Amino acid sequence: MDVTFWGVRGSIPSPGPATVRYGGNTSCVSVRLADGEIIVIDCGTGARNLGISLLASEFGKGKGRATVLLSHAHWDHIQGFPFFGPFYVPGNHFTVVGGSHSSELLERVLERQMAAQFFPVQSYRNMGAHIEMRAVSEDREVRAGAARITVHPNPHGPTEVLAYRIEADGKALVYASDVGYDAGGPPEATLAVYRGADLLIHDCTFTPEDRAQRMSRGLSSLDDAVEAARRAQVKRLALFHYDQDYSDRDVDELVARGRRQLDERGGQVIEILGAAEGLTLAL
Amino acid sequence: MKVRFWGVRGSLPVPGANTERYGGNTSCVEITTAAGTRLIIDGGTGIRRLGKELMRAEFESGRGQAHILISHTHWDHIQGLPFFAPFYREGNRLFVYARQRDDQNLRSVFASQADAPFFPVSFDRTRAAVAFRELHDGVKFEIEDARVSTTRLNHPHVAMAYAVAADGARVAYVSDTAPFSDILFGQEFMSGPPSARSRLGKSDKAKLSAMAAAVARLCEGADLVIYDTMYTAEEYRQFPHFGHSRPSDAIAVCRAAGAKALSLFHHAPDRADAEVDAMLEQARDKARFQAKQLDIVAAFEGLEFTLGKV
Repeated sequence: MDVTFWGVRGSIPSPGPATVRYGGNTSCVSVRLADGEIIVIDCGTGARNLGISLLASEFGKGKGRATVLLSHAHWDHIQGFPFFGPFYVPGNHFTVVGGSHSSELLERVLERQMAAQFFPVQSYRNMGAHIEMRAVSEDREVRAGAARITVHPNPHGPTEVLAYRIEADGKALVYASDVGYDAGGPPEATLAVYRGADLLIHDCTFTPEDRAQRMSRGLSSLDDAVEAARRAQVKRLALFHYDQDYSDRDVDELVARGRRQLDERGGQVIEILGAAEGLTLAL
Repeated sequence: MKVRFWGVRGSLPVPGANTERYGGNTSCVEITTAAGTRLIIDGGTGIRRLGKELMRAEFESGRGQAHILISHTHWDHIQGLPFFAPFYREGNRLFVYARQRDDQNLRSVFASQADAPFFPVSFDRTRAAVAFRELHDGVKFEIEDARVSTTRLNHPHVAMAYAVAADGARVAYVSDTAPFSDILFGQEFMSGPPSARSRLGKSDKAKLSAMAAAVARLCEGADLVIYDTMYTAEEYRQFPHFGHSRPSDAIAVCRAAGAKALSLFHHAPDRADAEVDAMLEQARDKARFQAKQLDIVAAFEGLEFTLGKV
């Protein structure tokens, strides 16, 4: 299983010299299974570059199939949707999975972004590819080719966000962005979803100091990410969804500080890294 | 007056090493008159940093006032607004202007951007006093010491061009628009370029020439024209139905209007810094023959012009 980061930023894209190394695009991660199956997680602006890359393969010929998992519909997780090139190639087939009470509601949410006053294409139905909407509310398990995907709701301020655990090729990847745990950190049911993952991609929007100022946002600090990784005994932790104002140096500091915290708290065996655009991790 | 660019990109923000020099933020231009009247044209992601800058002065204490002119509500012209800090400080006064539509109320279009499930802070929770003003095509009005004129452009769902005159200078903002030659844009989705058989009818041609004439009047004698030049000639041939222009279109308008300077603007997301350099070089070559007096620059984040009296 290969995991590639296309967008690692939270809230809003942050172009500029200060974000060139980790990248300024909003959230998007792709997963390629050993048999070639493609899973996309979130469609922030990073999805545009992922799309460009996929168009060089069967997606350019209208023979691509992929599953798109959406954690929630805040802009930084869907704003790349209208700019994902493979959606415009007839013949491609996508299943878009998101948290909603019905597929119709999920469709309505994504259609609002495409509406004429905001985007000239007016509807995802005009894009060309076959796009099927699939709401997950009741069934908490999804299949994508050989992958078994567990869907888990996490708190995100006043709303909910979905975490995904993807198991395939004998490996497990967990994507848990935009999560703001109650005091006490992730409950046991959440830890059970994260447990033993080969890679945990976890929200790390803020330093603990910055998070203390912004509790209502429902986002994680470095502490939250480190604690989740340590308690769930994952093998590798990728910090993710950095605040738009954090420079590359600030993120370097987050990673170094996370390393120290893990070492001090009995998490020496856990590898930690800062997710960066273009980085591929082979599991 | 001072003109400062905060976002120069079209379609969507494009962070990365390839866009470091010109900048990856979407459209936003700030105009400040000598008397301190502040106008902001478009609210792409560039407006976030402008907001942070404004919060260092009177907007922090809730005594700021700004007028935001919106060309149209496609994402790349409004997506930064929820991140514009002055909205969230009580006492600030913000005026938002955009073209009036039959089918949609301006405030609701803006407010819906901040609705659940898309954004955590609903528009009703902004603390500044925000007033919306809907504009008829061609209307002229005054904002303090600035005189604003408008005209509609040739773009899907229709965009509005603005000219701002103050301090004895005039700047025009013409984005987004297709040339006034091949397609007439209304509200409807176009899936592809028009076929050679579907030639423009007489009335469409007349509408396009009226539009072109109005744009030339808007730019008349301008000290600076900021123009949508998203496409190269080759790209325009492929995508005439997307509603954007080439540098040659902008140069022709500037020449007809006797404008003094042209800023290439709304760079395509794929355009790397070196490619913008090349486009600028080509445009200058072209102007050397066609519009000798015209200065041409390619807009970049942080570019500032001082025009007329300061």
